[in-house]
Amino acid sequence: MSNGTAKMKKPVVKVTPSSRLSVNPKMPSIYQSGAPVKHNQSIMNRSVTGSSSRRSVVLQTDSKLLDKGSLQTGKQPIQVLDEQGNDVTPLPLFHPDPNAPPPKQSNFFASQDASMITAPDFLSTISMYQTGMNTSFAGPFTRSIIGSSTVSKSSRSTVESMNEEIEEPGTKRVISLSLSDVQIRREEVKDIVTEDMLDKTVDVYLTETETLWILDMPATMISTDAEEAETVKLRTQAYVELCKNRLGNDLYVDRMMQTLNDAPKCKEVQCDKIIRAEAATMATIWDMYDTFLAEEASKEDNKTTKITQPSRILSRPEESKGTDAMSIISSASISSLSSLGVDAESIISGLTKEEPSDPELILKSESFQQNLCVMERIIMENIFQPKLADYRQLHIFKDPDCKPPEEDGIEEEPTEVTTTTTPTLDRLWSFSCEVTKGHNVSSMAWNKINKDLLAVGYGEFDFRDQKGGLVCCWSLKNPMWPERVYHCESGVTSLDFSIGNPNLLAVGMHNGEIVIFNVQRQEDTPLIDSSNCFNKHTGPVWQLQWIEQERGASGDDKGDSLISVSADGKIAKWYLRKGLDCTDLMKLKRTRGDKSKKPTGEKDRKIEALISRQAPGMCFDFHPKDANIYLVGTEEGHIHKCSCSYNEQFLDTYKAHRSPVYKIAWSPFSPDVFLSCSADWTIRLWQQDLLKPVLNFSSVNRAIYEIMWSPKSPMIFGAVNEERVEIWDLDNSILDPTIVSSASPGVTLTTILFAESTDCVLIGDSDGQVTVYKMKNLTSGKTTQANALDDLIGSTLASQL
Amino acid sequence: MSEIEETLKRIQSHKGVVGTIVVNAQGIPIRTTLDNSTTLQYTALLRQITILARGTVRDIDPQNDLTFLRMRSKKHEVMVGVDKDFLFVVVQAPSE
Repeated sequence: MSNGTAKMKKPVVKVTPSSRLSVNPKMPSIYQSGAPVKHNQSIMNRSVTGSSSRRSVVLQTDSKLLDKGSLQTGKQPIQVLDEQGNDVTPLPLFHPDPNAPPPKQSNFFASQDASMITAPDFLSTISMYQTGMNTSFAGPFTRSIIGSSTVSKSSRSTVESMNEEIEEPGTKRVISLSLSDVQIRREEVKDIVTEDMLDKTVDVYLTETETLWILDMPATMISTDAEEAETVKLRTQAYVELCKNRLGNDLYVDRMMQTLNDAPKCKEVQCDKIIRAEAATMATIWDMYDTFLAEEASKEDNKTTKITQPSRILSRPEESKGTDAMSIISSASISSLSSLGVDAESIISGLTKEEPSDPELILKSESFQQNLCVMERIIMENIFQPKLADYRQLHIFKDPDCKPPEEDGIEEEPTEVTTTTTPTLDRLWSFSCEVTKGHNVSSMAWNKINKDLLAVGYGEFDFRDQKGGLVCCWSLKNPMWPERVYHCESGVTSLDFSIGNPNLLAVGMHNGEIVIFNVQRQEDTPLIDSSNCFNKHTGPVWQLQWIEQERGASGDDKGDSLISVSADGKIAKWYLRKGLDCTDLMKLKRTRGDKSKKPTGEKDRKIEALISRQAPGMCFDFHPKDANIYLVGTEEGHIHKCSCSYNEQFLDTYKAHRSPVYKIAWSPFSPDVFLSCSADWTIRLWQQDLLKPVLNFSSVNRAIYEIMWSPKSPMIFGAVNEERVEIWDLDNSILDPTIVSSASPGVTLTTILFAESTDCVLIGDSDGQVTVYKMKNLTSGKTTQANALDDLIGSTLASQL
Repeated sequence: MSEIEETLKRIQSHKGVVGTIVVNAQGIPIRTTLDNSTTLQYTALLRQITILARGTVRDIDPQNDLTFLRMRSKKHEVMVGVDKDFLFVVVQAPSE
């Protein structure tokens, strides 16, 4: 020991005073942590220095001291010391695995000092090295503490002897590592990269790398069957004995350690505020329905062709948008609704529609048009409500919110009582608009199916002031604008709706043409016209009628055929076969007033200077019961009874009128009775069998343009002459009309039409207006039977005889 | 198109009609004959009630849908033609 100290002087010098000093504080630090120290400082120093010197000596030479080391180790790093003992070891170029050399060196001491130095001492030596040695090794040495600590742990003195078993292979490993380090160093020197080598293809071999041990926690137990079991058992026993001997033994010192507690630190963390949002939705029935429908629609979409897909794709986002929007809307508060987005929920039917977000598109769309139409009618209803209600014989409600004008007779006003009882025509409203202004109303007809639809033909009677004709279809629901407007080339003289096809409207014109319109369409072009027909009329078609013929078997009758009479003396029946074609039912031959027909060979006719042999037909009417028989009125004033079976001869001729017969009407109640009116200021009532009229009615000296029986009462008929409307109630008086209503000055009334189920009558005039009047206070309740008329006739005839 | 325009004009000129508004699907008035503030007010309020009415109708029967809404008050009658793309509003004062 003393020798060691003597020698050690040199090495001590090597250790700089600073380092030494540094060592010293280090040492006490370690020792302060602990317990009562047995050895005094000097001894410690000595022991420290001794160990250091020992090391240095070992390092210096390969002398005897090495022998102890050489038992364990193979190679050791070379350290060169000069005369003064300065370490001039050339620094290695390569730093081997830091754990490699120090554990080896520490093993030195572990093996040597195992019995001598306790753990703390050992630690101190290592720490001294840490500070005193070369910086190049400082790194490794610091780490060596860990390594050494593990080794020390595994040393016999501190831990269970079991570990020694494992320690030995570990040391061997360490040794091998150090060996490999040196080897690596050698190989590195020899490698010289040449240019050729760069160009050469290098074979790269991919192999599995060696397993890297990251953590190896060897077990502390060995099975009893293992080889080392015996030695382990011995060691265990030795340890147990050791523990027993520990008590009271000077060799063992209790020492305490204090763990260092790090100062606590407060750490605060703040997170972003968690924003909460409440979302609610209401699952309404239609919402669920729409969603399911949308799903089904999307399923169908996958099956459909690509052609239809674009339109459906458009609809799908709209639908989904719609459903989302609706749920949002239902959950949001009502106050904020106006600012929200899409309103429209997807409608069931709307699968193939466009997306009109453009306002112009909306305004042009079909649905907007329909909406407008409906709206207009509703507005009309609002305006005309009382009138329409009156028409339809509904109770008129007075609007409670507006100041009502005085209704006649209903209020308690003594001065107006008297006006209620006399029959009057109450003006309800009139169909007119700018389009029709100035046109003469020539004919009117109700639609056979829709009783609210009225067709009015506008055309001049006179051949002199002909202008373009007009056909308007008016609906009761909109008295201010016609539903359809059709323009015609020449004035319209007659029209009629078909029975079989209620949408067909046949129009006869002043130039002899007959056209058929389909009122379902808005276009001005007729469905068909007669211009290509050979047999067409050459004169104005004064009357048209669709007649239901009972010819079931023959031809392609749809139940009714069109019959027309015109000024060229023909009564034609029209067929719809590849165009309009007609056959003559009858040619109206001229007959002299009272004279019989002359034999055909007579040439005296030339004296008469007749323009044509035909008599212009003005009107006709088929018998309501027997579709074979019909009456024709001619310009001569004769009324002929004809049959469809005979087209050459008349069955009968009724001669009474002296001027053109403008209208003939069979009575709808009494089968044998008909009425005729003519320009000779008279209306005549006939019975079929009698060739003389039964009754004559006349009132003013004006030509009577039209007459019509009332559909509700057998005794009432209406007549229109140029200046007034006359409603005749035969029950009341046969001499005078019961109701008379004068036209406004300057306007001539031209047509009359009774409304089917109400007490209203329509009057057309030359100014283009069709006025609706309600007949009030007509005492027609008593006479609803047809017998009344027959009775009347019978009594009249009887009185005449 | 012109027929639509004509009809629209006719409606606007009918007796008692105070004003008409055409509203698109987003609730923005496209055409109006009333002044701006009134139009906006009508649009916003009527849209809400239309949605409510439509919800009512469809709740009862999802296959059904609202087509027309009419509100009669002391001074006016408001009529709303309902479609999925637009609303057509007409305000009419009672006639007589």
